[in-house]
Amino acid sequence: MQKQLAELMTTLNKNQRLSKLAISEKGFLFDPETGQSFTLNYSGMQTLNHLKRGESLEDTAKHLADEFKIPHDTALNSIEAFLIQLGRYI
Amino acid sequence: MSKNGKAWRNWNVAVTGMNASPESPGPGYAVARCLREDPEFNGRIIGIGYDVLDAGLYARNICDGGYLIPYPSAGKDALFERLKELHEAEDINVIIPCLDAEIQNFIALKDELEKLGIKMLIPSKEQFTMRAKDQLSKFCESVGVLAPESKTITNPSFFDDCESQGFEYPLMVKGIFYDAVLARNAFEAKAIMAKLVNSWGYPVLVQKLLCGDEFDLSAIGDGRRGMLGPVMMRKRALTEKGKAWAGVTVEEPGIAEVARKLIHGLSWSGPFEVEVMRTHDEKIYLIEINPRFPAWIYLSHAVNRNLPILLLKVLAGDEELDLAPAKTGTFFIRHAQELIVDLPAFESMLIDGGIASDVIGKHRTVSAV
Repeated sequence: MQKQLAELMTTLNKNQRLSKLAISEKGFLFDPETGQSFTLNYSGMQTLNHLKRGESLEDTAKHLADEFKIPHDTALNSIEAFLIQLGRYI
Repeated sequence: MSKNGKAWRNWNVAVTGMNASPESPGPGYAVARCLREDPEFNGRIIGIGYDVLDAGLYARNICDGGYLIPYPSAGKDALFERLKELHEAEDINVIIPCLDAEIQNFIALKDELEKLGIKMLIPSKEQFTMRAKDQLSKFCESVGVLAPESKTITNPSFFDDCESQGFEYPLMVKGIFYDAVLARNAFEAKAIMAKLVNSWGYPVLVQKLLCGDEFDLSAIGDGRRGMLGPVMMRKRALTEKGKAWAGVTVEEPGIAEVARKLIHGLSWSGPFEVEVMRTHDEKIYLIEINPRFPAWIYLSHAVNRNLPILLLKVLAGDEELDLAPAKTGTFFIRHAQELIVDLPAFESMLIDGGIASDVIGKHRTVSAV
């Protein structure tokens, strides 16, 4: 799982792809490099917005743990699962 | 003003490829639409087609006149005679050929048409041949671009033991000019080959199947190894023939780089479309290079990179090309629409081979604005 996650983060950071992702306030995600579009739930949208700002997975998990009042480990696991799911399509 | 003393804005432009069947429309109607909707263009647009049912010929909101020309198989001399007649009637400044099968005849007539005052931005015979489907693998190798392994065949018995030659099913069987069909076994492949040969003649191409996402890029080669105004899109939905039914503009640097290498290697002159497949391991394979604008070219106007207008500017030697930055996330969805044709217009096309622009003008509703 960690290998998959590392590969995805490499893909997302290549050519600033992550920062180029367009995410609307309603959770519409458009990848201008591949033309793919997705719908995100609120927590997915928050996760990608934090990562787009250059925050680490750890910091992003801290923000989500605070906002949703859940344990840090739960937030981190959820983020990792979300990113792996995203990696199957992006 | 342009070099030849007449602004491109007022040129009379003839556009071929006015067939507009929903399944696989010719690019001519979309090219004409790009010209018509440019706010600076005030010239006349003359639609040119091969069949009385080529819908674009009757599109009065787009074309000022519509004419039939002989099929490409009639040869360049027959085409030249007919174009002289059209030039006499419409004072044509530019022709934009939009169909693969006719380009060679237009290439052969370039100098003669130039003498009549008709300009074209088209490739040379050598450039055209280098990107032909049966030459593509060799050319790609020379410029460092990946292409799916393919083979030119004339004998259908190839399909009986193609697996021993490394071509496993499913594979693509392609006509020499148009059409690419997926074959799952030898029986299907032979039937597809017979159909393709019937339409486009020998040989056919067999290509290994690639899995991934399809992208297209259209631009103009300046003839000096440069690529102008690239617009790229990802196909979002396909027709049964594999043509784009919906797409969205994207900006994929790897695809632009592939197109740049190809156009540089060819020193391409004129409009073109590059079709590529990006596989799941992010490799980009060239599927084909089409020597003309694609049918989805109206999307270029939608993202402020109107390529048919750019072509006129290049022909006019206009220094200010005014290219907007590439805009991503603009979709197109193709739809079919009935065009109403009255009997006199159809009769004129069938009996006289065309409708002159002054005749169409009488029927057109003119806005007071």
